[in-house]
Amino acid sequence: MSRFSLSAGPVDLVQLRADLQQPGSGGFCSFEGWVRDSNEGREVSGLEYEAYAELAQAEGERIVAEAIARYGVPAARCVHRTGALEVGDLAVWIGVSGAHRDEAFRACRYIIDEIKHRLPIWKKEHYLDGDTAWVACSHTGRAHEGEHGHEPSAAHRGHAHRHDAAAPTPTFSPDYSRQTRLRDVGDAGQAKLAAARVLVIGAGGLGCPVLSYLAGAGVGTLGIVDGDLLDASNLHRQTIYAARDIGQRKVDLAARHVAQLNPAVAVHVRAQPLHAGNVAEVFAQYDLVVECTDDMRSRYLSNDAAVLTGTPLILASVYQYEGQLQVVSARSGEPCLRCLWPDEPAPGVAGSCVESGVLGPVPGVLGTMQAVEALKILLDLPRPAGSALLLVDLLDPGVQRLPIEVSRGCARHGGCAAVAQRGLAQARDAGEVDVAFDCLDDAIAAGFRLVDVREPDEVAAQPLDAPSSRMPSAQLAVCAAELAPGPLLLVCASGRRSAHAARELRGQGRRDVYSLRGGVLALQPSRARAIAKVRRGP
Amino acid sequence: MTTVTLQYYAQLREQAGAGGEQLSTAATTLRELYDELRSRHGFSLASDALKVAVNAQFSDWDTVLHEGDTVVFIPPVAGG
Repeated sequence: MSRFSLSAGPVDLVQLRADLQQPGSGGFCSFEGWVRDSNEGREVSGLEYEAYAELAQAEGERIVAEAIARYGVPAARCVHRTGALEVGDLAVWIGVSGAHRDEAFRACRYIIDEIKHRLPIWKKEHYLDGDTAWVACSHTGRAHEGEHGHEPSAAHRGHAHRHDAAAPTPTFSPDYSRQTRLRDVGDAGQAKLAAARVLVIGAGGLGCPVLSYLAGAGVGTLGIVDGDLLDASNLHRQTIYAARDIGQRKVDLAARHVAQLNPAVAVHVRAQPLHAGNVAEVFAQYDLVVECTDDMRSRYLSNDAAVLTGTPLILASVYQYEGQLQVVSARSGEPCLRCLWPDEPAPGVAGSCVESGVLGPVPGVLGTMQAVEALKILLDLPRPAGSALLLVDLLDPGVQRLPIEVSRGCARHGGCAAVAQRGLAQARDAGEVDVAFDCLDDAIAAGFRLVDVREPDEVAAQPLDAPSSRMPSAQLAVCAAELAPGPLLLVCASGRRSAHAARELRGQGRRDVYSLRGGVLALQPSRARAIAKVRRGP
Repeated sequence: MTTVTLQYYAQLREQAGAGGEQLSTAATTLRELYDELRSRHGFSLASDALKVAVNAQFSDWDTVLHEGDTVVFIPPVAGG
C-alpha cells in the first residue's frame, strides 16, 4: 500500500488516521501544513502547487520509508496537496504511529523536513497586489541533521550529516557576508542581486556552475530552460546531478538543486526549448540571460532576442580542452554574436561534446567564467572597455582576448538590430520545416516523398524501411534541381542535418520541403510498431 | 619566405595534432597560408567557416603576412 500520495482534492483525515491505529502503537503524532496569508513580507491570497508527479511520488515513498526505518516506527503516512489552495487550506498532512511518543515525534519531523527539502514540488504564490511567483518548496533546515544514536538506513546513507551541530537548524537565512565584504559589492550590491532576474538556458556542463554560483550569490529569481532528461553520459561534467537521478527531467533536478542550495531564490522552469515565437517575450522578463546550451540554433536565437530586447547575454561553448566566451551587452554600438559569426554554421562544422568529446572540468571552467561575467554585469563591477572573444585554452593554460570591431560586423549589414530581426524572422520560418511522424509509412500516407540525406555508410548501416530517394545533405544545395516535385520530407539521423538542408532549400525558393523531426532516432522501431499494432488489435 | 607563429584551436588543433607551430611559408596572404595548411594537415573546414586573427586582432583573409606575425585560427564550437 502506498504510504505517500499526492492529492488534487481535499484529504480524508479520518481515514488516514484510522489506517495508522495499530494495536502495538502507544502514540500518534501528526503534522499539518497550512497555507499562510503571507510569505517573506508579501500578503498571499492563495497558491497553486505543481508537482513533478512521478518523481514526487517515488521520492515521497522513499522519505516515508526512511523515517520508518530510521526511527523504528510501525506506520507512517503522508499526503501532499496539488492544485489551487486558499489561505487556511491543508497543504500537507503527516501522521506517524509508534510504540512511544518520542520516535513518533521525531519521525514526523523527519518526514516534513525531508519533504520540504527533496520533493519536486513548486508553489505558485498569488499575492494580494495581483503579482504571482513560482517558489521552490524548500525553506527549512533539517532538525534531525544533528541527531546521534540512529544509524542512517541504506537509502539515507548518501545524505550529508552535520555532526557538529547539536541543536536543530533554525529556518535558513542566507549569509552573504563573504561577498558583501567586497568593497564593490556591499549591501547595495547584494540588494541588486536580490532584485535581479536571470535566465539560464541549458542546465548542462556550462549551466551547472552558472546555476550553482548565481543561486549561491543570492540572485533573486533564476529561470531555467532545459528539455533534456538526465543521461549517465552527463555526469562526468554536470556536477549538480546524481546517478540516482538518471532519466529524470534536468530542469526539475536543477530547480531542486537551486532550492536546496539557496531557498531564498525563486525558480522558474521551462521544459520546452525556447523558439522564435516566444524567445523575445521570455527574454523581456529577465535582466540578463546566460546561454549554456550545446546548440548553435539556440545561440543564434538567444543572440537575436538579446539584441532586440536589450537584454545582456553571456555566451560560451566548449570543445575538448578549450572554450570560447563572448559577452553580448545588447547595447547599441556594441557587437553581437553575428558581428563575429554572421550565420549559424552548417551542422558538422562546429564540434559538439557528443562527437568530439570533452574533459569534464572544461565546461566547468567556462560556466564558472560565465557566472563571473553575469555577476560583474549585475553588480556593475569594473570591466574592460569594448567587447571581445575570449579563447580559453586549458591544455596549455591561458586566455587570449581578441577585441571585436563593431565596424567589421553587423554594421555592414544594417546594424545588429536589423540583422537580428531578419534572423528571428528566418528562425520563425525555419521553425515550420519540422514535422513529426512515428513511422515513415505515415509520412508517405500524408503525401510526402522521402529523401534520405544521410551519408552512404549511415544508409547501409540502417536503411529506411520505406521507399525513398537518396541525396547526402552536402549535395542537396547544388543538386536541388534534381529533386522530385514535393512535398518532400528530408530524413537524417537526428533531424539536424535534414532541418538545415530544408531551410537552405527553402531559401532557394523550394517552399514544399520539410524535415523529419528527431530523424531516424525518433522513429518507432518497426518491431515495436508491430507489437503496438497487435496490442491495439486488428 | 616569411616565418610566422601559428596557433590552432578546436577541430584544427585536433587535425594538426598540435596546438601550434612555427612555419616558414611562401604564402603572402592569410588565405594562401590557410590553403597551404589545409593541404598540409588535411583541415576539413573551409576558410569561410573560420575566424582568423593576426597579432591578437581579427583580420580579413586577404590580409598580407609579415615576418614574425602570430596567426590564430578559430573555428566555431558548440559544446556545452
